[in-house]
Amino acid sequence: MSGGADGVYEFGDGVPIEPIEAGSTVLVAGPALSRAEDLVRSMVADGTETGDGMLFVSTNQSCETLLDSCRRLHPSFDTDRAGVIDCTGQDLAESQFDLRVRSISTQSDLTGIGMRFSALYESLYADAADGRVRTGLVSLSSLSMYVDMRALFRFVQTLSGRIDSAGGLGLFSIDPTTHDTKTVNTISQVADGRIGVREPEDGDADGELRVRGLRGQPDDWQPFTLP
Amino acid sequence: MPSHRILCVDPDEDARQDTVERLRTELTEFDPVFETAATLDDATAAVSTDLAAVVTEYDLADGTGLELVTAVRDTAPDAGCILYTDAAPDAISTDELRGTITEYVGKGSVFGTERLARLLQTTVEGKSQASYPLPQNERERLAALQSYDLDDRALLDSLDRITDLAATHFSVERASINIISEHSQDFLACYGGANEWDTMDRQDSICTFTIVEDDDVLAVEDVTEDPRFESRSDTLLDMGIRAYLGANLVTRSGLVIGPLCVYDDEPRSFSAADEAYLRDLAAVAMDVIELHARLDGGVETDGEEP
Repeated sequence: MSGGADGVYEFGDGVPIEPIEAGSTVLVAGPALSRAEDLVRSMVADGTETGDGMLFVSTNQSCETLLDSCRRLHPSFDTDRAGVIDCTGQDLAESQFDLRVRSISTQSDLTGIGMRFSALYESLYADAADGRVRTGLVSLSSLSMYVDMRALFRFVQTLSGRIDSAGGLGLFSIDPTTHDTKTVNTISQVADGRIGVREPEDGDADGELRVRGLRGQPDDWQPFTLP
Repeated sequence: MPSHRILCVDPDEDARQDTVERLRTELTEFDPVFETAATLDDATAAVSTDLAAVVTEYDLADGTGLELVTAVRDTAPDAGCILYTDAAPDAISTDELRGTITEYVGKGSVFGTERLARLLQTTVEGKSQASYPLPQNERERLAALQSYDLDDRALLDSLDRITDLAATHFSVERASINIISEHSQDFLACYGGANEWDTMDRQDSICTFTIVEDDDVLAVEDVTEDPRFESRSDTLLDMGIRAYLGANLVTRSGLVIGPLCVYDDEPRSFSAADEAYLRDLAAVAMDVIELHARLDGGVETDGEEP
């Protein structure tokens, strides 16, 4: 790990993932119905418990919907330490929210998204405990509809570099069923690890997950539940 | 390791010198070489292929920092770009810059240059603004590449014969052995039409993806249909490359210096036997290079005894 915050990032009781080392970026890959995107939001919102900054890059939920999701996942969700880059293209009065919001008019403007990400990250880094910031990007599949794969790769690698240099945690969702395998494999090379998500086979679980590429994690598919 | 060229651009001379001095203090082990410019024109003139990063203000007397970033992407596509500025992100128009990536650090950041320095180092060492993946052992890989004398005529004649064999076996008009340097792809040995090719930017080469393949071979049936290469397929088609098979030259320490490749101007698939054959020929090519280095005497191949 290089930089900023030391240590690890931990997650809620329903998510069977061992703490992840600071500085890591992890791809969370699951089909549309698998709740992979909710898992990302939940793992970021878990930062409420530890005083971490929480930064979302949201392509398919407006700031308002995203906040509702976070409050459902964490009733005590701390908006003071949260930030959102709303890429849905909806007009929003940024001042109506009690958290840091930046909007971007089109998802093809990766330069604009990247710069807002950097600025919000610095701002959250300043206020979070030990500079710890969790980033959730939902989703890469949506961005890929607007830009070619190489541009997306450069964007993801840049975000990942910033997260590494600041000792943060990055969780980026992708729906592998909507991409060529080569795209997913190439993007995966930026990430330190990958969490596969699928629908539950039976029972009360919200889904099943399997971790690859990160040390000290269980090998098999594990059921998870979200609040 | 070579030192890193960093270009700092700011119209305010005091601010410019201050940034350089602070970065120099915080990056002593990183061995940066700083150059400075006050205007877009002067900065653009200072950009060359070996530039590691540019740190620039947004408002320049004769243009903007983003115009400089665009110029850097043309000449030094792998370089890191960081806007270090008083301008707020919302005040910066990025509509015309689709796909161009730059980092942003506000000068008002309470951390001053410490975060800037750390970000600069990560960006340069991890080449995090490049549009292709880096091998995990890139630093060792480049050192291994530099340890060989790859200009010797007798060696190059031997390698040419290997590309001849590859082209004959696959019935293609172009084959080559390429080395992947820090910023570029160079053609070491060529057969047929490949003799007309010049050094190309690493980001535009197929081989920069071959060297990160786990099984050391990459087959591309049709560059126009592959998401990694479709945005560059016009250039590749002009070179006569529609289909590609590459197998890595791997040193005894497991470091890849580049691949042996065959190219077809029509889409085609490659069998497991095709891949095995090219892999064998690539291993022969690597043996020739390492034996040549040993015969030459004194050249440490890869820093390891046989």
